[in-house]
Amino acid sequence: MTNLWWLSSRDVPEMGDASVAALLAGAEALERLAPGLQPLADALAALTAGPTSDELAGEAAARAEFDNRVGIPAPVSRSRRRRHPLLASLLSARAAAAAAVAALSLGGFATAAFTGVLPTPAQQFAHQTFGAPAARESATTGTHSGATTTPVGPDATGPAAFGLCNAWAHGKGHGTHSRHSVAFRNLAAAAGGASNVAAYCAAVQHPGASSSHAAHPRKSHPASQHTPHGKGRPSSHP
Amino acid sequence: MARLPILGAVIGNGFEAVLRAAQGGSGEAFSQLWRDGNPALLRYLRVTVPEAAEDVASDTWVHVVRGLVAFRGDEQDWRAWLFTTARRRAIDERRRRSRRPVAPLAEAAPDQLPVSEDAADVAIEHLATRSVMALVARLPAMQAEVIMLRVVAGLDNDTVARLTGRTPGAVRVAAHRGLRRLAQILAETGVTL
Repeated sequence: MTNLWWLSSRDVPEMGDASVAALLAGAEALERLAPGLQPLADALAALTAGPTSDELAGEAAARAEFDNRVGIPAPVSRSRRRRHPLLASLLSARAAAAAAVAALSLGGFATAAFTGVLPTPAQQFAHQTFGAPAARESATTGTHSGATTTPVGPDATGPAAFGLCNAWAHGKGHGTHSRHSVAFRNLAAAAGGASNVAAYCAAVQHPGASSSHAAHPRKSHPASQHTPHGKGRPSSHP
Repeated sequence: MARLPILGAVIGNGFEAVLRAAQGGSGEAFSQLWRDGNPALLRYLRVTVPEAAEDVASDTWVHVVRGLVAFRGDEQDWRAWLFTTARRRAIDERRRRSRRPVAPLAEAAPDQLPVSEDAADVAIEHLATRSVMALVARLPAMQAEVIMLRVVAGLDNDTVARLTGRTPGAVRVAAHRGLRRLAQILAETGVTL
């Protein structure tokens, strides 16, 4: 390396967009550069010079991590199977409770709760929290009596009103609400007519002092779970 | 002087096959991905988190190993993912160390010099690489990062914008200013390579 300080100057040639693009891209377009920019082009070339031994020194450790993680080489299906316990635990009552708290402000959960489609623990939680129908105890017995074929739905004059209104507003906002659902009929009955639902809901308060729950933001994902930004496609979800 | 992006120089056209093999559990394929990506990763991290570059790099690979099976995308996506992961790990690491003073990257400190093969010109090339990294590290943080991501990681402007959470315009300006400042530093110091 030669130090040519006596030739150097603080004056750097103007750099147009084309020059910047050429410098950043390297290689082919560099001949078009102003002569004064050659030192910069050389510097950038040095940045991308071939790997040094210290840059490759961690290979064994990284490989060990990989082998450790992968274990016996097995195709993708292995990780699929491993997801099931995770899913099961996600559907535990605790997770359902967390989801319910987050969903209270969203309405989607309430919609699901009132149509009774949530997994049993979640449905039970919804039932206890804001008056959604109770979880069916034995969906597998199969013998539905005549009484259960006519759904009753939640009582829209009670504490369920908030959830119902939320579900109604959410459905209305998305154009998905059904005027024929039991929940809506109950709501309309409580409001004194379908056309009064909006006014009725405007007056409904969030149930009780537990309103602070609804203000909680949804939990952000742990850093390792973030989807990378690159075109939105690659996923770091294990 | 022609230059190849350092990333991709090892694997080249076979990227897709190598990725698939690694996802299927091939350790050799994973090592190939690692040898391809780690030098660029380390250069980026030595500029952005000089005090913890090695730690953050291995931490990054731990996360990459965990997410590898689920990754979908081409080589550009792969690079974007690798450096996105590295950037997050670096930010976490910086937060963890925030109480300690940050040592600036020394200009090619003797113990950091590459242990080269016997060829003298290879050593000189490595010296040049480290010297320029040290100069880039003297730029304002965002300019330095953008230059490393554009030049060393080989990411395009929009990808860098997404990765750093800036607008494409801001990234373009940072690249322009960074290059201009780097040219000035080169002229002032009279470094020739």
